[in-house]
Amino acid sequence: MGENVENLPEIRQFKEWFEKRHEYAKKWKEKTGGKVVGYFCTYVPEEILYAAGILPVRILGSHEPESITRPYLHDMYCPFCHDTLAQGLQGRYNYLDGVTIAQSCLHMRQSYFSFADRVENIEWSYYLPFPHGVNNPYAADYAKHEFEKFKAAVEEWTGTTISDKDLEEAIQVYNKNRELMMKVFEFRKADDPKITGLHAMYMVVSSQVVDKAEHNEVLESLVEKLPEVESDREVGTRFMLIGSEDYDEELFKLIEYGMDYPATFVFEENCTGSRYFWGTVENGDDKLMALARRYVYRVPCPAKDWARGDFFGRRRFQFIERVIKDWNVEAVIIAQMKFCDPHELDIPSLRDMLDKMGVPHLHLELDLTQPVGQFRTRVEALIESMGEEDLYI
Amino acid sequence: MVSVQESEYWRWPEQIWVDESKDWKNAEVISCGIDLGSVSTQAVIMLDGELYAYANMRTGTGSVASAEKAINAVLEKIGDMKRENIHYTVATGYGRVSVPFANKSITEIACHGRGAVYIYGDSVRTVLDMGGQDLKAIKVDSRGKVVNFLMNDKCAAGTGRGIEVVCDLLAVPITQAGELSLKVDEEPEPVSTTCVVFAKSEILGLIRKGWSKEKILAAFFNAVASRVVELLERVGVEPDFAITGGISKNIGVVKRIEDKLGLKALKPKNGLDPQLAGAIGAALFARALYLKEQKKKK
Repeated sequence: MGENVENLPEIRQFKEWFEKRHEYAKKWKEKTGGKVVGYFCTYVPEEILYAAGILPVRILGSHEPESITRPYLHDMYCPFCHDTLAQGLQGRYNYLDGVTIAQSCLHMRQSYFSFADRVENIEWSYYLPFPHGVNNPYAADYAKHEFEKFKAAVEEWTGTTISDKDLEEAIQVYNKNRELMMKVFEFRKADDPKITGLHAMYMVVSSQVVDKAEHNEVLESLVEKLPEVESDREVGTRFMLIGSEDYDEELFKLIEYGMDYPATFVFEENCTGSRYFWGTVENGDDKLMALARRYVYRVPCPAKDWARGDFFGRRRFQFIERVIKDWNVEAVIIAQMKFCDPHELDIPSLRDMLDKMGVPHLHLELDLTQPVGQFRTRVEALIESMGEEDLYI
Repeated sequence: MVSVQESEYWRWPEQIWVDESKDWKNAEVISCGIDLGSVSTQAVIMLDGELYAYANMRTGTGSVASAEKAINAVLEKIGDMKRENIHYTVATGYGRVSVPFANKSITEIACHGRGAVYIYGDSVRTVLDMGGQDLKAIKVDSRGKVVNFLMNDKCAAGTGRGIEVVCDLLAVPITQAGELSLKVDEEPEPVSTTCVVFAKSEILGLIRKGWSKEKILAAFFNAVASRVVELLERVGVEPDFAITGGISKNIGVVKRIEDKLGLKALKPKNGLDPQLAGAIGAALFARALYLKEQKKKK
């Protein structure tokens, strides 16, 4: 008899890191005397910061209603950028020494600028241009050039020199983290996916806010235990989650633990899921070029995927198509952050692709807090429409 | 002095009905559907898949109490039927999980699809459920099984509760508002928003401008119809088209939706009340679930 996944200390550790991310960073700072840099969006080459002895932490919101960001951000900017800035304005990120963003979308950029200007104790900020046209043949050269400037800025600020060896070590730690999380996701292909989407979210988001080396230790232990793990919950409908960042526990708890019908997320294609860690850095002599290639050629955010034409020809859509087949996905939930233009532009094509593949799908618009009752009705109705033939007599 | 009763213009009549020509004791399966909505609650009793009795009541502040009130009202009207005589109960609607005596809950989306086919016939392909606090556009097959659906997001603009508020503001009984709104020589521009709060302010402005009640209602229902048609077009309207839910009784809204779509909504068979669609669907599922259970036992 294997251990129940809910009781695994590794899952509990991820959850604790997720919930107490500020406390973790403060303790890390006390312990190491190092600097902590907050980053917006997952195109920041964290390895460069890590190589300089810095702890990179992703800036996240708290999903609590707020009304303090309106002087800085337009009402129709996404709730995520409001929420992240609100955390800064409320002093929850006062332990940060620096803040950075790699260009992704305008809403996040505005949040970053206000954050950098308004949050106390921020002594260093860096806006990192990153190519939107990631399918352009010169994109990696461009990114490498910007990474060089970024590295120089980090060196100047910290007074350190980041050697190739430092970069190599950071890349190894980060690659290991990616490989281990990909292994965990591999388990989810099985009839018994071992973990739920909620567990996966704790795992991925905690990796964004703690020291990767420490995270790797827990991941290694989890990967070792997972084959023996048992779950006492019914898997039910195998869902894939596609969309904007989504680390709202309420949504996972509702769909996986709070409905009349059993359901489990077997894959999350978002930047708090696979889009963050999928794809390693292919190491080579030129470390910065290796990094540039990884970030340019990773599964792109919709803000970056500019290829035109048949959607099956687009990199992100090809990835989604493969996941649906390999992970035996039965239905897709497209969860898009309200006012997220890049996703809004992608969703019509995504729906067309899913229709062509014959995969049922449901679109939920995420806000700062979620209308749980309405979401429940919609998801349950989707599941009902996929079966229950014998009720129609 | 105006009595409290006379000033409650939003209040729609509650109904309790039983088909006296039927004897429930002859039925093989007695099934019950409870549609516990945000504004109204329906309890329906069906005998072997045919409508026998119902109660249509206003939802109170407590979900459990509202469900109890509706089922008690219908049982009282029947007279000699007890709860234990009911073989299976399915709850639906916003409060479906709060019906303690239900055997199962099924979403109102599935129930309205199923109920619409019972009320309008199997040619229905698009169902618009216009409820107290939400709108649903549902595409169904000939059995009433959901093929696709769309539901409004958080905002309840342009729904039943909004119409109640506007009727109260204009001191027009809700049952007369639809007819009144058609008594305009020329259709006015719609009010610019169906948000209850904003529409209320805009309507106050129109009152001050000297607009008649008829014209204001026409402008408001025009806006409601536009919002509904937008939702319908997103899911794609395929004839035949039917409307369920309380607002289906508002001719002022229905006619404007028909005009915008260029499509007539079906008329209910045998004068059935389309507000019962959810509860009827639930009762039909209850029958199927009961028979399924019995089959398993054999």
